[in-house]
Amino acid sequence: MSAAALATRQTAALAWRSIITTLRLPQAWFPALFFPLVLMAIFTASFGGAPGNIPGFPPIRGFLDFAVCGAIVQGVLIAGTTAGAAFATDIEHGFFDRLVASPTSRVSILTGRLGASVALGVVQALLFLSIAAIFGARVEGGFWGIVVVVIIAATFAAAVGGLGVYLAIRTGSGEAVQGMFPLFLALLFFSSAFFPLATMTGWYHAVAAVNPISYLVESMRDEVLGGATIWTALTGIGIAAGLAAISISASAITLRRRLRVAS
Amino acid sequence: MSDQAVETQDLVREYKGGVKAVDGVTLNVASGGIFGFLGPNGAGKSTMVRMLTTLLKPTSGTAIVAGYDVAKHPDKVRRRIGVALQDAAIDPYMTGRELLRLQGVLHGLPRAECRARAESLLERVDLVDAADRRVGTYSGGMRRRLDLALSLVHEPLVLFLDEPTTGLDPVSRVTLWEEVRRLNREHGTTVFLTTQYLEEADQLADRVAIIDGGRIVADGSPSELKAKIGFPMLSVVAADGSTPDDVSRVLATFGEIVPGAVERGAAVRLPGGSTAMADAVRALDEAGVRFAEVDLTEPSLDDVFLASTGRHLGADDDVSE
Repeated sequence: MSAAALATRQTAALAWRSIITTLRLPQAWFPALFFPLVLMAIFTASFGGAPGNIPGFPPIRGFLDFAVCGAIVQGVLIAGTTAGAAFATDIEHGFFDRLVASPTSRVSILTGRLGASVALGVVQALLFLSIAAIFGARVEGGFWGIVVVVIIAATFAAAVGGLGVYLAIRTGSGEAVQGMFPLFLALLFFSSAFFPLATMTGWYHAVAAVNPISYLVESMRDEVLGGATIWTALTGIGIAAGLAAISISASAITLRRRLRVAS
Repeated sequence: MSDQAVETQDLVREYKGGVKAVDGVTLNVASGGIFGFLGPNGAGKSTMVRMLTTLLKPTSGTAIVAGYDVAKHPDKVRRRIGVALQDAAIDPYMTGRELLRLQGVLHGLPRAECRARAESLLERVDLVDAADRRVGTYSGGMRRRLDLALSLVHEPLVLFLDEPTTGLDPVSRVTLWEEVRRLNREHGTTVFLTTQYLEEADQLADRVAIIDGGRIVADGSPSELKAKIGFPMLSVVAADGSTPDDVSRVLATFGEIVPGAVERGAAVRLPGGSTAMADAVRALDEAGVRFAEVDLTEPSLDDVFLASTGRHLGADDDVSE
């Protein structure tokens, strides 16, 4: 078997392992579904009358259509934090050592974990869209709109997964990675994930306006609410890909440094 | 592979702050045997194993494992070694069978072979019934056996076991010893095991090196090591009518008295071995010293440790727990 084929197989096997260990541990997947969905429900119930009544809101059919993309991004953030924590636990408990002491390709250690995050991100996006659809939401962008939303969610999942791995290697502690979560959540709340930029004022608006997550969510939202163009889609994909490039490079560099110092 | 499974030359690992966990270790481990690396906690055993298994880079010196330099060809070493580290690193949410198959894939075995190896190893370590249970439900002994099986998926030439029985109950410990012996006997796998238990080294290993403070303080077969430090010890317990001093006075003419070894009597290291024992007993009799018990004990590895480091191997207390 060629080195590339072997690495691909190892990546798939490690991704599979990450996915099944996530699914078998309710505390690993439950928060990533529960909190965003509850928040989505609360917002929809609270602000159901907002569109059309509150200045700054775009003309939309219902608040659920507006809220679903923020929920997807929030779910991906939670799942990514959990994945990072799981990677840190692998380091703490020695699974990482077992991998390093075997001929597992060093790339697969990273791509296996990220592959699982991407796969779970796809499932999460589709699940959230389906649940929103059941309660009356509609993706105006149709099939390709869904594809774009899923691609952005999956790419963003890779970005968050990369950040999780980076933090895991730097701290070597699952609790420390989990402890970063409020910070990520703040990053999400200081964006237009849940409310449009136009309704915000002062410094809050200023922060949200420079937060890349704002534009990432908005490009997803354009697909759901209508008005998306190839450029809005590429903006979202580009932001997610850019974030992924940064976080994955950082995690690859720290992983390599760790392995160099170690081995 | 050459006839040496492990060869190190002046191996050093220095941690930040200048602490040398391993301080110039030169070691040769012949292929086909069971090598026991004995030392107390913090002596440098695990650091040594981490270097030999490519997990840690030596600060200086060389290590050749299974024919390849760990620093220059870590990948070649990794293909040829099996590793079961301390605190069995096992995913609690996966089943034994899943983990064995995963390990096979990581080693690049074809799919069919992964399955076949998993089945035969499950059988070998007696985990067939538990194969589809999550590892989180396994007992400590079952985990160690699975860990051992995991390290054997690719049929390694050299197997590294870092404190394989620490924390195990005596029955599980003996089961694991038997498995290691069988592996060595039937498959010719060289076993490099670290332990803080004298008994384990004595029972399992055909060669032992004792490490303390990062340096090898003794190296040889258990019987060689014991013979080197000496003479068997004759202990005599005084009976009514005689005092320990009476016993001691007579025994002192046969060798060096071991202070404090016998509570109501005395003990002496006998250069003449068991032959001298008869003379000593006769001398006691002729001197009119009454005694109740006479016992001749061969030196233990603890005596070796004591002689080499001036301390008892304290961790050995755990064995009786």
